[in-house]
This record gives sequence, structure tokens and C-alpha cells, in this order.
Amino acid sequence: MYENIAQNKAKTVAIMIGFIAFITLVGLAIGYYIDWRYGVSNNYSILIMVIAFILAIIMSFSSYYYSDRIVLGLTKAMPLSRAENPRVYYMTEGLSIAAGIPMPKIYVVRDTGMNAFTTGRNPQKSILVFTQGILDNLNDEELKGVISHELSHIKNYDILLGTVIVVLVGMVSIISNIMFRSMIFGGGRRRSSKSSGGGILSLILLIVGILLILLSPIIATLIRLAVSRNREYLADSTGALISRYPAGLANALKKISVNSEVQTANSATAHLFIANPIGSKSKAIFKGLFNTHPPTEERIRRLENMSLGIGVK
Amino acid sequence: MLTGVTILLVVIGAIVLIMIFAVIGIYNSMVSLRNKVNNSWHQIDVQLRKRYDLIPNLVETVKGYAKHERETLQNVINARKLGIDAKDVKDQAKAENMISGALKSLFAVSENYPNLKADQHFTKLMEQLNGIESNIAFARQFYNDMVMQFNTRIQTFPGNMFARIFNFTAKDYFEIEEATARGPVKVKF
Repeated sequence: MYENIAQNKAKTVAIMIGFIAFITLVGLAIGYYIDWRYGVSNNYSILIMVIAFILAIIMSFSSYYYSDRIVLGLTKAMPLSRAENPRVYYMTEGLSIAAGIPMPKIYVVRDTGMNAFTTGRNPQKSILVFTQGILDNLNDEELKGVISHELSHIKNYDILLGTVIVVLVGMVSIISNIMFRSMIFGGGRRRSSKSSGGGILSLILLIVGILLILLSPIIATLIRLAVSRNREYLADSTGALISRYPAGLANALKKISVNSEVQTANSATAHLFIANPIGSKSKAIFKGLFNTHPPTEERIRRLENMSLGIGVK
Repeated sequence: MLTGVTILLVVIGAIVLIMIFAVIGIYNSMVSLRNKVNNSWHQIDVQLRKRYDLIPNLVETVKGYAKHERETLQNVINARKLGIDAKDVKDQAKAENMISGALKSLFAVSENYPNLKADQHFTKLMEQLNGIESNIAFARQFYNDMVMQFNTRIQTFPGNMFARIFNFTAKDYFEIEEATARGPVKVKF
């Protein structure tokens, strides 16, 4: 348990450093590109790199403090009052006592798909988000299973890593997308390629930059995968330890898998959810390879093993 | 110049230092576990207070409709008093089990009074008490987990050596002692 927490914090720092390095390199590449294309001296590349470096530092620190709000905004989650749904409040209150963490704030996404996720930077500032669909369709035991799963994400500090990834890795995806497009459509008329001093160095840097930009969407996806798959299994089993009723979550996953689609989710936030929130219709070829969630059948199988057959439907 | 004596002294010094740090580590981990136990006990306590606060309210409400159930009501009040006066975990656990039992029979009795069951105030109190009851169960689970961790630490090697020196004693579990919860369920027709 405590190893996981330390690991998650270390990984968060690593992601931040990686992000700063990436943005700085992109700045350098842009600078060199400008030098190379317009034949000016190398001053631009250094200047842009420094600006990019400072921006990246500001962005990664603010992502630590504000990414939960960004995530809530992206998914269009709204606060849920105790009066509107006392049931989920009672359950969350009890289970967070059992988990030994403070009671998280509760938000809701008005969507009929059944899903849930957590965000925030530590257990004291955590937010638990349900879709309307999951609140309406699960019975008490199933919903308790889902809540315990989410509470164990909070307890393990998965929420910090997951939330920071949404913002930083998301930003990398966006930047590389823009760069990629502008490289394809914006290239062409270079003015004086001969006159740029240290031509080989800038060429190498340019190639590295282009490679980085080309690869970064894949790297971004791989990072999301690396953090989410095993974490789901771990949260399933820790969750079972909190609720003392593995079959609850197993039955919930069975129900959820019928319709876990959330309209406001996208590839940047998908890894936060308890079940894959993105429709299964699209992107056929690499689907299995780039799944952010382990196969539901396998998760259910493991939970049912834990339950010793008690309460399994 | 390094003589054999100084080397020996340095080695002994290093070993002593390592041992001191090890003892400090063990001591600190035992203290932090004990604090966790105390904190988790506090979690139970919070829930128990909530229940104590609701009971007089409940008793008043029931009195209004069911005057003849004096005995059942008195049981609830007595159990509450026992709970408030309890000094240690064992007494507290016993009192809480009594309260839970007394409340259960009160709810059973209330089945005979349709007007009481229809009372909005009463249904709201019932709902709150049920919520607290399950919170107590969760808090008890967390507390018992912590007690187990703490007891294991001070009863296994090397913790047991230092537990005695530093005066750490095993904590009591918060146990269910209700006969009905333990024994086999009897069904009568």
C-alpha cells in the first residue's frame, strides 16, 4: 500500500519532468525550424527554448493544483447535493470510514451511461464522480462495490497521477497534433537553407524534433496504458478489501459493461474511469492494443475468485 | 595512523549506531500504528455520539404514539446511558451491542403502530439511525483492521522485544457480542 503511494508520487514527478523536457525540446525544434527556414541566426532557437522551458514549468505546477478542476470541466461534472441523493452519500460516508480516508466530494455527470471516476491531488481534496446512469441502475451492493473501487484509487494516490496525466499528456498530444499538421501543410518555401550556420547540427535537431513529435501521440498513449491497466486490478482487490464483498463489484461490472459510454469522455480522460467510457464502435485495428482498461471479463473472473462464490449472480 | 584498536572501535561504533537507528525505527513505527488505532477509535466514537444524540429524539417520538411500550423504551434509554458511561473498548462494545439490540426491538414494536410508522419524523429518524448503524459497522471494521496491525507488530519478532520495554500493550477488538449475531439462527413458525 505505502509502496504504491510512493511509486505514484515518484511517477507524477517523472511525468512532470518528462513534460518539461518535451516542451523545451519542442521550443528548441521550433526555434531551429525558424532559423533554418528564414535563414536568421541561432538566437531564436535559444530564446524560444527558454520561453518554452519557463512555460512548461508553470504549466506542470499549475497542473498539480488545477488539473482536478480541468478534469471536472472536461467531463461536465456538477456537484451532487446530499438532499438529491442521500443514498450515495450514506454509502460513501460509511465506506470512506472503512477505508480510513476523509469523505470525498461527490459530483455527477448527467449521462445515462454507467461509469464513475475520481480526481484530485490527495485524499483530502478528492472528488468522486458518478454518472446519473450508474446511480440509477445499480443496487446497493453493486454501488458499494464501485465506491470502494474508487476510494482505493484515492487511497493509493492513483488520482494524483491519473489527473496530472490528463492535463500534461493531453497537452503533449495537442501540441504534437498541431506541430504535425503545420509540418505537413506549412512546409515548402524555405528561403535560404544554405546560409544557416552549423547546418548539420540544426538538421539533426530538426529530425529529432520531428521524430519526437511523430512519436509523442504513441508515447502518450503508452503512458496512459502503463498507469491504468494494473491499477484497475489493484483497485478492484483493494476495493474488495474495503467493502468485504467482492461479488458486489463483480456484479456491478457485469451491469456496467452493457453501457459504460460517457458522451463527455475522450481519450485524454478515458483512463480515469472505472470502465472504458469510449464507445467500442470506433478505431478497430489497434483497439485491443491500446485499451486503457483490462478486459472486464478478466476483472470479473478475479473478483469472483475472491468472493468464493458468495453473492455472485 | 590506523591501529587495530581504532579500527575495532570504529566497527563497534558503527554497529551500535545501526542498532540505535533500528530501535528508533521500530519504536516510531509502533507509535504511529498506535496513533492509527486511536484515530480509528475516534472514528467509531464520532458515529456513536451521533447515535446518542438521536436516541432521545426517537424515544420522544415513539412515546407520542406508543405509550404502553414503556419497557422497550426504558431498555433503549438504559443502553444509551451504559454507552455514554463506558470506560474501555470492551464495555463500549457491550453497550453498543445492547443499544443496537434495544433499537431493533423498538423498531419491531413500532410495526404494531401504523400511525407511528406513517410519521415523517419517525421515518426520517429511522433512516438516519440505519445510516449511522452501517457507519458504525464500517468504522468497527477499520478499527479492528488497525488493531490487528498494531497487535501483530507488538507480538511478532522483533517488536515483541521492545513492546515490553516501551510498555506497548495489545489493544482490544471491537467485537459483536450479540447472541443473535453469533449463534445459529433459530426459525420458529
